[in-house]
Amino acid sequence: MKTKHTRLMFLSAAASLAASLSAAPALGVDVSRLDITKDSPGDWLTYHGTYRSYHHSPLDQINAGNVKQLQVAWTHVPGRSTRGLQSTPLVADGTLYYSGSYSRVFALDGATGQVKWSFFPKLDDDLVKAQTHSPYNRGIALGHGKVYVGTVDGRLIAIDMATGKQAWDTKLVDSKKLTVGFTGAPLVVKDKVIIGSQGGEWPWRGPIFGVDANSGEKKWEFFTVAGTEESKASWGGDSWRTGGGGGWMPGTYDAQTNSVWWGTGNPAPLYDWAGPEWKTKGPRPGDNLYTTSVIALDPDTGKLKFYHQELPHDAWDFDSSVGEFVMIERDGRNLMVHPNKGGFVFVYDRANGKVANVWRLVQNINFVKDIDPKTGELIGRRDMVEGAHKNLCPAIAGGVSWNAGAYNPQTGLYYKVGQEWCMDLEVVKTQPILEPMAQLNIGANFKLTNPEGGKAHGHVSGRDPITGQKKWEVKFDEPPLASLLSTGGNLVFVPDSRGMLNALNATTGDKLWSHNNGNGHNGGIISYRAGGKQYIAVMTGWGSLVGDEFAALFGGPYPAMANDSGAIVVFALP
Amino acid sequence: MIRFAYRSICALAAVATLLAVAAGAQEAPRTVEEAPPAAQTPPAVQQAAPSVDPKVRSLFATSCGWCHQGGGQVAGRGPKLAGSDKSDEFIIRQIKQGKPPGMPSFGRAFNDDQILAIVAYIRALPTTP
Repeated sequence: MKTKHTRLMFLSAAASLAASLSAAPALGVDVSRLDITKDSPGDWLTYHGTYRSYHHSPLDQINAGNVKQLQVAWTHVPGRSTRGLQSTPLVADGTLYYSGSYSRVFALDGATGQVKWSFFPKLDDDLVKAQTHSPYNRGIALGHGKVYVGTVDGRLIAIDMATGKQAWDTKLVDSKKLTVGFTGAPLVVKDKVIIGSQGGEWPWRGPIFGVDANSGEKKWEFFTVAGTEESKASWGGDSWRTGGGGGWMPGTYDAQTNSVWWGTGNPAPLYDWAGPEWKTKGPRPGDNLYTTSVIALDPDTGKLKFYHQELPHDAWDFDSSVGEFVMIERDGRNLMVHPNKGGFVFVYDRANGKVANVWRLVQNINFVKDIDPKTGELIGRRDMVEGAHKNLCPAIAGGVSWNAGAYNPQTGLYYKVGQEWCMDLEVVKTQPILEPMAQLNIGANFKLTNPEGGKAHGHVSGRDPITGQKKWEVKFDEPPLASLLSTGGNLVFVPDSRGMLNALNATTGDKLWSHNNGNGHNGGIISYRAGGKQYIAVMTGWGSLVGDEFAALFGGPYPAMANDSGAIVVFALP
Repeated sequence: MIRFAYRSICALAAVATLLAVAAGAQEAPRTVEEAPPAAQTPPAVQQAAPSVDPKVRSLFATSCGWCHQGGGQVAGRGPKLAGSDKSDEFIIRQIKQGKPPGMPSFGRAFNDDQILAIVAYIRALPTTP
């Protein structure tokens, strides 16, 4: 158990001074507290819960026996929730922090929802309006007495945790030129804040940044495209200059190897008319390293340590930025579980990034026939030439989307949403547009469809995270697009797309409770403790790029579902 | 409407030049020799494409087809554009100014002639996919 003294060091505004006076001990406290759930079971300190990325709270006050009594404790409405609330809240010592659209940040009393402070950054409104991946924000990071948030106009901002005053504001991306910024949550690792710029479809080189947590000074920048000579050599001609590969979601940190694991975006254009001749022809000939890859960076230097490219020359927009990094130990091996957007789950050896297994989460996959579970090699690629193609599975929205699954160390089960849908497309030759400002480069017209012989749908399953063996599965008429939450009360919470928050028995998948939040879910869900009481906090609000597909594909409530509103809804026992 | 129809025709006539400008300093597109599909690769199906300049179709597939799906012929993230009863003025304003939350403003990205070429593309779309 960490002492109260060390907890205050982490949280107080004086932490930065303490860190500067005794850097090593303070940094150790930060890493320790972020990494080990049981040290602070009442908190939710990083986007994925802890560095182990379980999206699991060990709290058990709310459990399978009493969850039926769950009721709303409080709500908070942030306003201007354009495209809903897509972020995951964080909690430290009873205070809840969260971000909304336009990178608005709030600090609330975790027990009452009373506002402690709010922070609304001034954004470049013209730029925000010109972006496709905007104005949502998907999360924040805590550390060094600060809250860190990225902005869609290319900045990383630090806010004093205690006062809500801006500590620093660092411009990292020339968003007026590149039209992208940051939507994903940052990750605090030791004395750095690490964040990746958004989107693989944008004609740039997907940098990931390491920024000094106390001063805001940029310390390193790793180009996921042509960041090394090896990478540059894997792009024909000058295609690396517009290769894409943005690492738009946060990864995690493995202290044992001092490695930051991060998933990178797809290459641009998304679809490649070279077909089977992609190694030598088309808009981006070659493997296109390090797009659609899992990379390990040294957090101190930003240097690449090792990598595995999940889909060499990704021609389907199935990037590796989606997918949490779940640390599991089994049979003496330290493993990392990482779902890829294509619907396969990769298992890696944490020491070196070598593939330990690959298993299939969804049924409707035909972009490859299979992936070799021993080597990760793609078997039977479906490479498409210019023209129309039918029934590519999964659809562009992926077999999994960017919100996270959960792992319960008590049940040993990994809970994850799978998406079953396909699409027809017409691959079209395009050129990257860089002037006067960059535009996304798709390379196809497409239309989502039902899988052959069935209807598009989603499912949540409980599986062995290493083998993929399924213990139970619950079908949803439409894929849930929010993150899942596992708790020590033998519960899995599934916020679904219609707006129902469901509690399932973690062992059996049986539905135990549900509540209608009145709007679709497309963000995070956490559990925390404040004043000795356990709470469940979930984001509501609809309108992401994947959710926008639902009206045409599913009808039902989606054509009329609000995409300009959202609230954080918090539940507790009476 | 007559004035806009005329402008659309002008835009179409000039579209090759305009899109060359749009490409700016970009290198010329790499030519691709069509290769026979691999054994496991279903062949491409020839689709009835709108009878507009292929460069406008390319521009649409670069940035617009992301939301206006099936090349604008079906509803997806964005509305179906084929057969739209909206005026040219309305469509031009939507492209330039955008419409939150889904439609970005392209007024800074594309010039007037490019936007007119996109309007002409929309008008040429068959109303049934």
